[in-house]
Amino acid sequence: MAKNIELKVYGMTCDDCVAHVTEGLKSAIGVKDVYVSLKDGKATVKADDSVNPKELEKLDVFTKTHYKAQVRSVKDE
Amino acid sequence: MSEYDLAIIGKGAAAFSAAIKISELTSNQIKIAMIGYGPIGGTCVNVGCVPSKYLIEASKNFEMAKKPLYDGIKADASIDFDKFMESLNGFVSDERKEKYEKVIKNFDNIDLYDGKAKFLDKNTVAVNNDRITAFNFLIATGSKTFIPDIKGLTDYYTSENIWNIRKIPEKLVILGSGEVAIELAYAFSNFGSEVHIFNRSDRILKGFDEDITDNLRKIMENHGIKFHTGVNINEIKSKTLFYGNNSVNFDEIIVATGRIPNIDDLDLNKAGIKFNNRGIIVDKYFKTSNENIYAAGDCVDQELKLETLAGKEGAVSAENIFGSEKTVNIKNVPWVVFCDPNVASVGYTEKELKSMNIKYNIRKIDLKNVVKANILKSNDGIAKVISDENGTIIGVQVLAPNAAEFIIEGVYLIQNKLTYNDIINSSHVFPTVAESIKIAGQSFIRDISKMSCCME
Ligand SMILES: Cc1cc2nc3c(=O)[nH]c(=O)nc-3n(C[C@H](O)[C@H](O)[C@H](O)COP(=O)(O)OP(=O)(O)OC[C@H]3O[C@@H](n4cnc5c(N)ncnc54)[C@H](O)[C@@H]3O)c2cc1C
Repeated sequence: MAKNIELKVYGMTCDDCVAHVTEGLKSAIGVKDVYVSLKDGKATVKADDSVNPKELEKLDVFTKTHYKAQVRSVKDE
Repeated sequence: MSEYDLAIIGKGAAAFSAAIKISELTSNQIKIAMIGYGPIGGTCVNVGCVPSKYLIEASKNFEMAKKPLYDGIKADASIDFDKFMESLNGFVSDERKEKYEKVIKNFDNIDLYDGKAKFLDKNTVAVNNDRITAFNFLIATGSKTFIPDIKGLTDYYTSENIWNIRKIPEKLVILGSGEVAIELAYAFSNFGSEVHIFNRSDRILKGFDEDITDNLRKIMENHGIKFHTGVNINEIKSKTLFYGNNSVNFDEIIVATGRIPNIDDLDLNKAGIKFNNRGIIVDKYFKTSNENIYAAGDCVDQELKLETLAGKEGAVSAENIFGSEKTVNIKNVPWVVFCDPNVASVGYTEKELKSMNIKYNIRKIDLKNVVKANILKSNDGIAKVISDENGTIIGVQVLAPNAAEFIIEGVYLIQNKLTYNDIINSSHVFPTVAESIKIAGQSFIRDISKMSCCME
């Protein structure tokens, strides 16, 4: 089973930021697909069931750079 | 209905600190509603730390002008109290403008709401006719004076409105013996009031060790303040307070019998937030029993109520909202009562260590051993340094002039797990009252009566 995780992402101002955040999220084991919207400040992540959504907030891209993220919803696919 | 990422209930120290920190963390992209009533800045700047310290310093200045300490100096001081209080209120309003009103204008991401917030459900609060929804909440509603149930206690001041007083009371009764009571007693006594402190328990400043508070009490008694402790008040009638078989008449009365959390109006149950009569219950990350709601500052069930602590907890909560696991070690937080001499403490007190059955070593020195205290003619205090069995410092308490300015030495010692050898090996400035900590440290290894001045 997979799930869709929606995160609010803060700190993005350009397409480069979108690329950074996308790459950062994709680096997590179990993440299959990532879509990041600059306009909405949101990331939608499709991930294996093994992924703990809250752990995505602690990825390097959200702790070692100026981006911050918070899980807003988790839905089973 | 307005929607936000974060709603902060309160606009005092904890609220501001959280709002600024979380705005920094999100490059000002987080949308915040800040809700509160009364003047912006909350207790500290308006009716707490700032006016009380202004009052204290001015009263000390007046006392010294009336009674110069050094031979050969004569003075003739007088006071226009009305004018002075105008200046105090002017100062408060300037500080509020600089530190809060101007600051908030830098944050386009924060909307201010004026009014009381009440939870309607886990994600919604009502403020007047507005409905505000948010994914995250921070409760930072502070505390207020506890008013005891005493027959006839109707016409009184508290620390919320004492700043409106325009005449020095000839006879002043203060109910309570915590820091607010002691500080106001000290200030009004300097201004010339005959001050009577009433307290049900026979202790004053119960967070400190008794050797410190006994000493302070003696100093305050020598200054003319009358303590009536361990007494029950029967009633108050026509500006007379009746206790036991005695009575005291007074011009004004101040209630300073402790502080209780401002949480009654919030309808916390609607949001699933646990609390007790000491405040909101939080885990070590300041998260309440509702995982999207944090609480910080005086409204939290915790042992200290301080501006600095409220600010720290606000900032820590902001980081933890984004998954950090930051904590605050309350034993590293210093606290001070600003009467003169100051009473300052950080870390464990002896009575805490005894109650926990922790073994410790203690060295206590009399301030008469500190040259600067002798120069200041304020040498009745003491300095205490407490170490664990390995010599690591775990507590510092000082009753000394200017202790508020140097208790930070105790903070660094405790926070960095330093030992009394580290105190001894650090050069201090001579002559300062801060040397009292150095001398107390030296007394772990030698008899200080056999020590010359500035001996290393
Ligand atoms: C006389 C006095 C002297 C002090 N001196 C010192 C000192 O020298 N040093 C020190 O460190 N500390 C001192 N303190 C303590 C310090 O002032 C407090 O610890 C600190 O101000 C607490 O900050 P806070 O943000 O928790 O709450 P507050 O600053 O009290 O802010 C609470 C806010 O919540 C709002 N609020 C309350 N209920 C609601 C509601 N239902 N809905 C919406 N808003 C609400 C209020 O309007 C206010 O804006 C002193 C306190 C007093 C009373």
